[in-house]
Amino acid sequence: MEEKKIKFFEQKNWIKENLSYYKDSGSWAWIYHRISGIALLLYIFMHIWSLSPLTSGKEAFEHKMAMYSTPVFSVIEWLLFAIVLFHSLNGIRIVLVDWADGARYHKKLYKLTWIVGIVLFLAMGFVMFSHEIFKLFR
Amino acid sequence: MYKYKASKETGAKSWVFQRITGLALVVFMIGHYILMHYQPESGKTYEAVLYRMQFSWYRIIDLTFVTLGIYHGFNGLWGIFRDYDMKPWLKITIISIILIAGLAFLVWGYNIIFSIPYIN
Repeated sequence: MEEKKIKFFEQKNWIKENLSYYKDSGSWAWIYHRISGIALLLYIFMHIWSLSPLTSGKEAFEHKMAMYSTPVFSVIEWLLFAIVLFHSLNGIRIVLVDWADGARYHKKLYKLTWIVGIVLFLAMGFVMFSHEIFKLFR
Repeated sequence: MYKYKASKETGAKSWVFQRITGLALVVFMIGHYILMHYQPESGKTYEAVLYRMQFSWYRIIDLTFVTLGIYHGFNGLWGIFRDYDMKPWLKITIISIILIAGLAFLVWGYNIIFSIPYIN
């Protein structure tokens, strides 16, 4: 019998290795979870930084908050919610895979992640911008 | 032949904690979003923050939230590094940076919460 050569992950060419690897839904979930996780860690830094004027009282805080009350910033906030949603829902999927035999239905869960995610994303958009939306039809 | 060079820690505990803190964060996050976006301006003024912070139970919730978030975030970051083969000195360096940054972060967050005065 011919001896099969086992291919190991070549860490030095990790970009090429990762790109050439065939990706099923689980791989994409893994990649998005990682990217969204890093993004959220950066966001939590920004979040604490943006709240830090609270230590200097009302004026400093409200001056800072005025910067975050623009429409452009609201849209960015909404996009942030998309990242939070994906990381939360896919996180629940991971827990189910680990603890509730989810390996048997993880692909369905991945689809569900996107369906529930998009519905909640649009719902949040409505909650955040309902006043603006109503103004359009007045 | 196979000798542990850096740590005997397998990571099993941090794996369990990552899942528990993750689930807890989902619950906290739902509350946080309702509080912040139920109304367009809800909870974003200084008065609103000051009002909430008069309740010690609210401060405890906030402190727990920031602790869990930072733990989950930095443990997750370490989880990414752990996927790669590293020399022990590099592992120790990265762990040290993550620990120090995480603790600094935590102190920063706590300091903000504690700096908000109680008014009678």
